[in-house]
Amino acid sequence: MRKLLVAALALALVASLIALPPYAASDKYLGANAHGKRGGTLVLGTLNGPKTLNDIVAQETSSTQIINRFMASMVERDNHGLWYPALATSWKIEVKPDGKMILYWYLRKGVKWSDGQPFTADDVVYTINNIYFNKKIPNDFQDLFPADNWPKAYKIDDYTVKVEFNYPYRLAWRYIGGTPIWPKHVIEKYLKEGKKFKEIWGVDAINKHEIVGLGPFIPVEYKEAEYVKLVRNPYYWKKDADGKQLPYLDEVIYKIIPNTDAMRLAFENGEIDVYAPRGTEYADFKAKAKEKGWIVGTGGPTFGTQFVTFNWNCPDPIKRKWFRNEYFRKAVAYALDKKRIIDTLYNGLAVEQWGPISAAAKEWYNEKVLTKYEYSLDKAKTMLVLGGFSWNADGKLVDKDGNVVKFILTTNAGNKVREGIGNILVENLKKLGMEVTFSPIDFNTLVQKLVVNGKWEAVIIGLTGGDEPQGGANVWKIKGALHFWNYNPDVKSFVDPKDYYSPDWEKEIDEIFQENVNFASKDDIPLVKDMFSRFQELVSEHLPLIYTVQQLFLYAYTNKLHNVDPTSMGGIVTWNMDWIWKEK
Amino acid sequence: MQPRGESVLKYIIRRLIIMIPELFVISFLVFMIMWAAPGDFLDQYRMDPSVSPQFLESLEKELGLDKPPIVQYGIWLKDILTGNFGYSFYYRQPVSKLIWGRVFATVILSLSSFFFSWTLGIITGVFSALKKYSIWDKILTVVAFSGIAIPGFFLALLLLYIAANTGWFPISGMVSINHSQMSAGERFKDIMWHLILPTIALGFGGFATLMRYMRGSLLDVLNEDYVTFARAKGLPERKVIYKHALRNAINPMITFLGYSISGLLGGAVIIENIFAWPGMGRLVYQALIQQDVYLVMASAMISAVMLVIGNLIADILLAAVDPRVRLE
Repeated sequence: MRKLLVAALALALVASLIALPPYAASDKYLGANAHGKRGGTLVLGTLNGPKTLNDIVAQETSSTQIINRFMASMVERDNHGLWYPALATSWKIEVKPDGKMILYWYLRKGVKWSDGQPFTADDVVYTINNIYFNKKIPNDFQDLFPADNWPKAYKIDDYTVKVEFNYPYRLAWRYIGGTPIWPKHVIEKYLKEGKKFKEIWGVDAINKHEIVGLGPFIPVEYKEAEYVKLVRNPYYWKKDADGKQLPYLDEVIYKIIPNTDAMRLAFENGEIDVYAPRGTEYADFKAKAKEKGWIVGTGGPTFGTQFVTFNWNCPDPIKRKWFRNEYFRKAVAYALDKKRIIDTLYNGLAVEQWGPISAAAKEWYNEKVLTKYEYSLDKAKTMLVLGGFSWNADGKLVDKDGNVVKFILTTNAGNKVREGIGNILVENLKKLGMEVTFSPIDFNTLVQKLVVNGKWEAVIIGLTGGDEPQGGANVWKIKGALHFWNYNPDVKSFVDPKDYYSPDWEKEIDEIFQENVNFASKDDIPLVKDMFSRFQELVSEHLPLIYTVQQLFLYAYTNKLHNVDPTSMGGIVTWNMDWIWKEK
Repeated sequence: MQPRGESVLKYIIRRLIIMIPELFVISFLVFMIMWAAPGDFLDQYRMDPSVSPQFLESLEKELGLDKPPIVQYGIWLKDILTGNFGYSFYYRQPVSKLIWGRVFATVILSLSSFFFSWTLGIITGVFSALKKYSIWDKILTVVAFSGIAIPGFFLALLLLYIAANTGWFPISGMVSINHSQMSAGERFKDIMWHLILPTIALGFGGFATLMRYMRGSLLDVLNEDYVTFARAKGLPERKVIYKHALRNAINPMITFLGYSISGLLGGAVIIENIFAWPGMGRLVYQALIQQDVYLVMASAMISAVMLVIGNLIADILLAAVDPRVRLE
């Protein structure tokens, strides 16, 4: 009996030792297991230079890719979207019975800013209260939280911060933990000098050596339209498995090459170390890889989506009826030959997509619940019959009131893949007796039609995506600003409230996006997974958006680089630049 | 009769005064065309699921895009009279600073290709005309016609391909990445080395055209009576050609020169893009795509001023070499 008790006690002790903080994949930081050699310069190509180094102002990747090198956050993600401790060694989430939620963050000790000043709880509290949740500094981070019910951060001691919410919020942990921390001592000084917050850290700050950060590399030189140079942060806190200070690389250079053909040649010529080949180039790269000393491969599907959709509120009421008819959409889905798209437009380097969440978002993707409308013109015709359509004497498709089915399909001109998808789809829709005109138009004109005046009928378009489905809330909520195929009359005045139609499944999806964020505790994770499975099931079955295919992530890099592990989530070298090393 | 110098000065001043209403009309037209084009700078964010409508609204206000176009134009006009060219939405910097930052690269590439095409064009044109129907003339003719026929971007890609395969020239940019650690002499060499391919790509078409013009123009003149007369007078052939024929043949070239000058600050979009040259063309192209209004306005104004000045210079030069032309 006593033996058993001791064993149980020992087991409990072990269990408490290996218990990880919620959402973390490990209690070690990223890079703790790395081996490598110090030195070397990594040269990367980029289409555009940074426009600002102020994270609040930055909207484009050309800026954020530099910002993310010198700024760091309390937790960070690996190349599969899993979370690890970084500036915080651990954390705790408490959901109180009264609905309040408290996040406790335990900060890493002994970390220093790149100017040698110590990093403490003051920096974190300042970043949260005075920067991101400051009414005078509007920013898109604030939009992730309910307006006027913002959280507040408190310093408990130099290395403990508590963030209080008046409501449980599932994403609070990752948003607060993932937000870059600003150096209080630097920013306060600027504000005291009378600078406006948005003017801090424009691109001039690089050459003035004003940038201070906690990340592995600090930008020190910017030659407009030529290159950005970053050097090793001498105070970076990470150490590798052998106790050597990271990063391994001395310098990182982003060379600005505005043209993809020139980018390719620069890679072939050895001027840049990394290149993301296009589908059409991949076979050629693979063939030359050995001789040239490249490592070339594919890293699974990407996050972005491309789909066909119809305007349920288009100006012509007859067409609205077709587009709201689920059988009509199913017929179009059956007529979409995804295999042919993959073979002809992507050289085989793409996968079919059936639902709204990318297979790359491993945590949420659930293939089992997806309805797949595999290409079949016979099934498409059956769907049309079920939907009340028939064919007239000329073989044209007509609805039950005798109107010939004809509409205009559009996309943004210049996107060769979307134009290709359009041509393939139109060819098959014609076989179903539909009269479809395919006319790609300029991107800005298209955006006006989609989100401003609603004067469109059918479109092939894409949206960027990420690993967290809630990032698409703007698209999926019934009153969302990007719910553009079926805007709510409250959102857009062009929608006729007397002729507005929203089926029950749309309301269910809306509820999923309203409610999943309320389940904040660790035990709720399976429940949230179920909710997003249901979301995938509903969208793939009822087809508000008819998904097409997803390109695979393609990469090529010189074999002089080591510790590289590319995925679409982490990029080729982006996610672990602090422990990549380069042979001389 | 007035002394010539004074009348030239008066003429220049008059032309510059006419320029003011011209610029006003041009600026108004460009602004209104930019406004009439569908969409605005913020469109790229409208299709982004992570950007909320509230945030878009605050951006709209910040950039002044919520005001009616005529008000926006008025603000721009008022600012420009005080020397403020406005603020670029995309680059988040003052337009004047952006443009100033690109002037050096733009001018150095323009000038080098300008000299490349003009010196080579004139010399080979004259040579070709004098050795009419010889084997050299025929070779040069083939070169010229291929130069005119090959589009600039294709030639640029061809040169890039050669550079990539031989490694003799850099692929992109104006300087090497270790440029800032170089000595002054090395820096100069570095830039020259980067300049060669873009210069050829940009100047080749012009060289070919100029050569054909020069050849045709000189051949016309060589058939004139006064050339025959000069030869009959017993003047040495050198003098006949350089003193009599060439001076008359150069007239049409000068009009051409005026246009070339007007393009000096415009940049070359395609060549700059292919060679990653940090010039004005790339800046303005990006601005057009993004509907970055004030940057587009500034570049349109520069082009307009340069065109007027280029024409003015051409007219003055024409008057200088041809006594029949009077500046009125």
